[in-house]
Amino acid sequence: MLTLSVGLTQYMVLSAILFGIGLFGVLSKKNAIAVLICIELMLNAVNINLLAFNKFVTPTQFIGQIFAIFVITVAAAEVGVGLAIIIAIYRNKLSVNLDEFDWLKW
Amino acid sequence: MLSPWGAVFIFLAVGIVFGAGGIATSFLVHPRRQYASKYEPYECGMETIGPTWVQFKTSYFLYALLFVIFDVETIYLYPWAVKFQSLGLFAFIEMLVFIFILVVGLWYAWKEGALEWM
Amino acid sequence: MNVDLSLLNPEIAISILGLAVLVLGLIIPKESRHGLGWLTALGLLGVLGLTISGWNNQGTLYHGMFIVDQYAIFFKITFLTAAFLVTLGSMRFVDDMGDQSEYYSMMLFATLGMMVLASAGDFITLYLGLELMTIAFIVLVCFKRLDGKSVEAGMKYVLLAGMSSAVLLYGLSLIYGVTGSVTISEVGRAVAVTPVPALILGLVMLVAGLGFKISAVPFHMWAPDIYEGAPTPVTSYLAVGSKAASFAILLRVFVAALPGIWANWTMLVAVLSAITIIVGNLVAIPQTNIKRLLAYSSIAQAGYILVGLVTASEQGIKGVMFYAFLYVFATIGAFTVATYFYNVTGSDEIKDYAGLSQRSPLMAVVMLICMLSMAGIPPLAGFVGKFYLFKTIVDNYLWLAFIGLIMSMVSVYYYLRVALVMYRDEPLDNSPINLSTPVAVTLIIAMVATLFIGIYPGPLSQVINMAAHSFFMH
Repeated sequence: MLTLSVGLTQYMVLSAILFGIGLFGVLSKKNAIAVLICIELMLNAVNINLLAFNKFVTPTQFIGQIFAIFVITVAAAEVGVGLAIIIAIYRNKLSVNLDEFDWLKW
Repeated sequence: MLSPWGAVFIFLAVGIVFGAGGIATSFLVHPRRQYASKYEPYECGMETIGPTWVQFKTSYFLYALLFVIFDVETIYLYPWAVKFQSLGLFAFIEMLVFIFILVVGLWYAWKEGALEWM
Repeated sequence: MNVDLSLLNPEIAISILGLAVLVLGLIIPKESRHGLGWLTALGLLGVLGLTISGWNNQGTLYHGMFIVDQYAIFFKITFLTAAFLVTLGSMRFVDDMGDQSEYYSMMLFATLGMMVLASAGDFITLYLGLELMTIAFIVLVCFKRLDGKSVEAGMKYVLLAGMSSAVLLYGLSLIYGVTGSVTISEVGRAVAVTPVPALILGLVMLVAGLGFKISAVPFHMWAPDIYEGAPTPVTSYLAVGSKAASFAILLRVFVAALPGIWANWTMLVAVLSAITIIVGNLVAIPQTNIKRLLAYSSIAQAGYILVGLVTASEQGIKGVMFYAFLYVFATIGAFTVATYFYNVTGSDEIKDYAGLSQRSPLMAVVMLICMLSMAGIPPLAGFVGKFYLFKTIVDNYLWLAFIGLIMSMVSVYYYLRVALVMYRDEPLDNSPINLSTPVAVTLIIAMVATLFIGIYPGPLSQVINMAAHSFFMH
């Protein structure tokens, strides 16, 4: 029987890596949908963190799990709004490439 | 004897070899002849006309959005349903308020024509 | 479980109002929808009255998740006043734009988000309030969905706000992991015992996330673009409301809960504040678009408010609250002029303001007074506000006070440049601008409040003293 000892550290490393990938993607990707996906990666990293802390730090309470549920909900709302805006801008510009959005200077 | 993490490492290594191996083998053995139709998106299909980013129907998106709203709603209903007996009347009323707000949203979407296939 | 729901009255009232406006927009015919603006304005006035009447009704709900103290109530009054003035001043703009019910209900939900944020006693409430406010603002920013600029601004806002809230959340999750609690007061107690590196990282991420919302300088890049692209009334509400709400929660988290850690951070805040003041004011000088000018000036104003956070004493908090309150009138006055001017002429360029004093004396004088108040010229409100803020730091951070003073003079230069265009230059188009009644009322309220607070700050100052005192009670 194979037993893995997965502790808090492993979860935190996983979540830190996921967060890093997401942040890198947000800063480097050119496609708006890809940026939105990377933001989701960052939020999922947060969820892993919250659940891991809930299990290892406060095992008798469910604060972290409740927090994670709210994060999931709000993330869904945010993505809904984000995609709607991407559709609107696609109709205006026929592109979702962030480099081409230059009506406003950065 | 392997440590428990060793098994994970082997699994990871086999996974990488399996994926990378296929690509590498095909790269090594495939014939190199270049001609025009090789560069088309679908080698044996029709030639594409116009930009490949065509507009898709937004109706799909609207349905997906409505689905997500009511999908996420379930997360809140589930714990409440499990503990329904002990939470009592107050939580029941709170849940009715919650669902009422969502129904207002659904009604709005309906009235604005989001549920019609245009 | 004993829950005193009367503490939640303003929040409940405003959510009902928001839903009612949304539903009424579906029921009533298109031609009579301009009445929704009046309904919203009157409803906001009612909620404002309800909030003020609950001044002495303090307490906490749900085991400290929701704090109703005079500090929170004061900020709620600030948001509701701002929302009322923006609604009153922008009715014609919204009627031209269409979709009144969606616009006003989003406005109300954004206000609800700010009110929840001001009362947040734990991280979950904080996050929900922040996101409710942000998502409503995202929808509002890209409200002119056929105008490329507006949609582009909305796109930038949704991506950057999403990233900043992800960073903030990661910080919150780390703080939760270290302290084992999400209630702000319990976190404060736990932190006093165990300061560890992960906690510092979490706090840095929290500051970065909130710094984005207040557009403090390293995180300010989004502000001018989004302020320019958004519909003008939305810009004014974004500049006032979302900033004041973020300051409210910044104070709540750092000053009330983490005084021990904050003491080591004062230098950082002082530097942040100095950079924000300098960059905001200097970049404002070459701007030719009135909305961009006001955007950079609002970055500079955020820098001034940050000064109050340096000492984090009761005096500093008082300065922040005072400044946030008077900033409402100055900013909304200036932006309402810009909104109405855009409605009439279709332009946001400063050069088109030539001869405004002849075309509409009231608009020109309100713009002038609001700008001078932001620059801090006595006897206007901005001077008193800056006085309260800088009084707290002259002992230990004299250099910061000097920077604030010099940069205030710089700001007088670019504000007066607008005044010069309005008063000296000959108008290209001599036709007078007729103000509609609600706009005129908004402008007069903004002007009178700015003058009154400046000349006679006593009563407001006493109210804020009470509110700042209630902040330290628990």
